[in-house]
Amino acid sequence: MEVKKGIPYKTELNNDHKKLNAKMIDFHGWEMPLEYSGIIYEHMAVRKHVGIFDVSHMGDIIISGNDADKFVDYMFPSKVSALNINECLYTSFLDNKANMIDDTIIYKLNKKKFFLIPNASTIDKIYNWLLENKNNYDVDINNYSNNISHIAVQGPDAYNVLNDMNIEIPENFKVIYHKINYNNVLTGNNNIMVSGTGYTGENGVELIIPNDIASEIWNELLSKIKKYNGLPCGLGARDTLRIEKGMLLSGQDFKEDKNPYEASISFIINYDHNFIGKDKLLVAKENYNNIFRGFILENRNIPRNGFEIYSSKNDLIGKITSGSLSPILNCGIGLGYINKKYNKINDIIYIKIRNNLVKGRITRPKILK
Amino acid sequence: MSIIPENLNYTKSHEWFIIKDNVATIGITDFAQNQLTDIVYIDMPKIGDTKKIKGILLTIESVKSAEDVYSPVNGKVVEINNDLNEKPELVNSDPYKYWLVKIELSDNNFESMDYKKYKEYIGE
Repeated sequence: MEVKKGIPYKTELNNDHKKLNAKMIDFHGWEMPLEYSGIIYEHMAVRKHVGIFDVSHMGDIIISGNDADKFVDYMFPSKVSALNINECLYTSFLDNKANMIDDTIIYKLNKKKFFLIPNASTIDKIYNWLLENKNNYDVDINNYSNNISHIAVQGPDAYNVLNDMNIEIPENFKVIYHKINYNNVLTGNNNIMVSGTGYTGENGVELIIPNDIASEIWNELLSKIKKYNGLPCGLGARDTLRIEKGMLLSGQDFKEDKNPYEASISFIINYDHNFIGKDKLLVAKENYNNIFRGFILENRNIPRNGFEIYSSKNDLIGKITSGSLSPILNCGIGLGYINKKYNKINDIIYIKIRNNLVKGRITRPKILK
Repeated sequence: MSIIPENLNYTKSHEWFIIKDNVATIGITDFAQNQLTDIVYIDMPKIGDTKKIKGILLTIESVKSAEDVYSPVNGKVVEINNDLNEKPELVNSDPYKYWLVKIELSDNNFESMDYKKYKEYIGE
């Protein structure tokens, strides 16, 4: 199946966003809501109450067949086959140089069927990468990205909203199935997936649902979240929420130029199996110079992608990859890579913002505990 | 639809200004603040700075991006709006009440659009 062409792509909820007067933007060829009521306002709704997000631009790929378990182990530095059924994990595709192509959540649906969610900007690349590496593995690779919608329900009141909708709540990184009155091409039955995952650092789920039912569920959620002062949230708040929690953004914080050691996600690596990039990753383990860190500034200046980071002795020690205002801390925050030699948590750094050196300090990537 | 008061002058880079007693009061338009999203910081010029038409007057940081605001006139900065130091988001709430800076004109060389032309320019 080909991913649909023509820009911008639209999700099934495009008209619903316009009805809500969302400010729409082009995100990697997708017409997506940036904000409805304001980025900071939406951000705070997720931290204090609940927010719902249309993230249907994310991809949906199923790998199935006799060798599915062996194939997914070969494709990832994580031992995906070791998952229990209906569990998922966070991992990353590596290229032959052990650089990260795209990070993803992958689910084990049964022993011979795995489901993964590539980022919107890399769906075609990942689909082709899987096909290129299929070799003699007995697997089918199917791209359902055009048929499936995703709605994230995130925040301390997310579980209350789901309760009100009689949807059972999965544990983190687990999936529960919920029956609907539509056929679901992804699951092959009348179930939708309720996944204990998210990109905000809050409690919540992601509903992975057939397009036919997306608008119905979105509008039901819209009415149910009101009781909890919840809000529909756009990609603006999604970005500020994930930056506060130090979550990587594919294509921005890494772009086939960083390995998992540099990106501070070495926890995904398991050397007990063979996988693409393994030999180079073993070399990289002893030889990497830069590491992904968070930065908190002392004022509301915002570090942006590409801004330089200096040590207190004025050495250039790294660059910012993502930055924002932290609505919670009320100051500028950034994520980026610095030379490991200078990597001491709480050490003072300076970020060059429009010819000023703005003082800040180093934190772990998860800036907000 | 953006708010576009009839009594102001507008630029193609979405500043508004009004001249009184040889001093231009300058702000950004409703269209501009809406495009910017939540404003979080304004990098103000210093009083006494000399500014030239189409030169960078100041920079506004929003959650989404950092955008330069250009001077619509030639002259010297004589006042900045100190209300915005602590609460730059006031510009989002009312971009015409919350002006940014005042510039004393050194000449009368400026180009501007009236509200009708500006409305047409932004396609509303």
